[in-house]
Amino acid sequence: MQLTIQKVVPHPLRAAITANSSDIWMQQHRFSKGQRIAVIAPSGKGKTTFFHLLNGIRTDYDGTITWGDRDLRWMDSDELSKLRAMYIGTVFQDLRLLSQLTVWENLELKRGITNTITPEKMQQMLHQLGIAEKKDSPCRTLSYGEQQRVAIIRALLQPFDWLLLDEPFSHLDHLNIEKAVMLILEMAQKHQAGILITSLEDNDYFQYHQKLYL
Amino acid sequence: MDQRKKILATLLLKNNSYARLFLAWLSLCVGTTLFLIAILVWWNFQELLYGKSAHDSLGSSFITVSKKVTGENMGNPTLTSFKPSEIGELRRATGVESIGALTANRFPAVIKLNTSLGFATDIFLESVPDQFMDTLPEEWGWGADSREVPIILSNDFLNLYNYGFALSQGLPQLSQTTIQAIAFDLVLGTPENQQVYSAHIVGFTDRISSVLVPQSFMDYANTVFGSHANPNPSRLILKLKDPSNPTFIKLLKDKNYTTNTESLRWNKLRSVVEVIVGATGILALLIMGISTLVFTLFIELTIAQSKQSLELLSLIGYAPSYLRQFMFRRFFPIMLTAILTAVLLVLLAQFLIAFWAKSHQLVLPFIPSWHIWLVIAVGTILLFIQIKRAIKKAIG
Repeated sequence: MQLTIQKVVPHPLRAAITANSSDIWMQQHRFSKGQRIAVIAPSGKGKTTFFHLLNGIRTDYDGTITWGDRDLRWMDSDELSKLRAMYIGTVFQDLRLLSQLTVWENLELKRGITNTITPEKMQQMLHQLGIAEKKDSPCRTLSYGEQQRVAIIRALLQPFDWLLLDEPFSHLDHLNIEKAVMLILEMAQKHQAGILITSLEDNDYFQYHQKLYL
Repeated sequence: MDQRKKILATLLLKNNSYARLFLAWLSLCVGTTLFLIAILVWWNFQELLYGKSAHDSLGSSFITVSKKVTGENMGNPTLTSFKPSEIGELRRATGVESIGALTANRFPAVIKLNTSLGFATDIFLESVPDQFMDTLPEEWGWGADSREVPIILSNDFLNLYNYGFALSQGLPQLSQTTIQAIAFDLVLGTPENQQVYSAHIVGFTDRISSVLVPQSFMDYANTVFGSHANPNPSRLILKLKDPSNPTFIKLLKDKNYTTNTESLRWNKLRSVVEVIVGATGILALLIMGISTLVFTLFIELTIAQSKQSLELLSLIGYAPSYLRQFMFRRFFPIMLTAILTAVLLVLLAQFLIAFWAKSHQLVLPFIPSWHIWLVIAVGTILLFIQIKRAIKKAIG
């Protein structure tokens, strides 16, 4: 599934954006499945806004965002859910876990939508990222770094053409980042999916096809 | 239930306290029960007054009308009978649905008790078209060759005999069954042209104060034994929409016609009861509306408490349509059990009402008619739609 963005400007940032001030806003891009894209910007430049636009969470923008041949703006709520369940896996910056549920319950809720990943594989992912022993703990009792790893695993428990990662490693140490990158790459290769990641600073977590500065 | 659905139920319905759930259920159940009982009362009332077993002692929409006998018209039957123009005027009056004439005998008639007691008395006979009768026993009817004549007697006459004549004369009081078992000889006509028929009483009427024979028999007897030409009727029977209608009562008064004033008073009372039953229906509708509102608010509150979780579920790929269906499946059994309980209570109520009515010689069905079932079906569908709408509104 191709991602196309055309002259997108979020309304709250309209005043701050000029013609050539950003690689994303007011620009045209066509990202093909399998590409790895890094979006780099300091705080307050609209990285999370960009993510929310791509996810269909916000619609207060000018321009066009197209997933495949469907304009995101014209998708109804069921279509959006299908997009999120079948084509794009997302790690939100604020994680958006169900804090009252355990780690396992959070993951099972996601896994059960498509049933494309077995519970055994899910267990293995927990092992890979070093949080297997936490699987029965409520998410709210986990450290932010542990919750971040739960959110990463959750994004991988579905078929996807694209992985959208909004500062996914902000609270992870080098060793855990390495493990998470390995797991993400493994799953992205399996699905031949693209990766779109935002970060505050330049990085080489993945071999990027493009680095864009907001 | 698979693990995912269990987790969803924990997530979305955990805020439901059993007390609140029970109160919502109770509210819906009580509202539905009151609503159905109000309809049941209205329907039973209609059955009693207008149904097949309608009883005139509860007030009737039939009245008999005659001209008041005064000093001026007494002794002149043509002045106390109704001319065709007067009948036409009554037919056109507001609220008159149909009109029939009471035909009287125009020949001498004597009834003799078919025993050795030698009891005999002159009597009068009348007939009305069957459509105006309140009772039509199986034996009712007469064929040209038949020697048997069925008679329907006014309950008033039986009461007069039992509580007046019999007591004062030291004669035995007679039950309806006893009288029906007695065979009479009915002697018609003058000695030159006379015939004897076998007569027996087949039923009793509250509607018409008379001794009634089938219309076919009366027409035949008047032709064969009648001494003079067909006169105008002196009594009419009218079917009215509302006999207590003031316009109609004024017409009767203006024309100097008389009728059974007790019947009119009964009908007035009946109109009052109808209004009360109607008001109860409106109240029940209001209660039903409030209880539906309480149940709907319960659903909306439950969903509102899970709003954040629902939004998160939508973000990770749960379709709103799936979530709506999930919630509906949780609330539907609650709705259904409340309605089923109400239906069972209503069935029980109808059984008790019919049982009570039976002890008062009134006939009511033990099972509610299809009208009630239709209301239940339509009500369930409307509630079903309302719950779907509430869930859709809350989830989006």
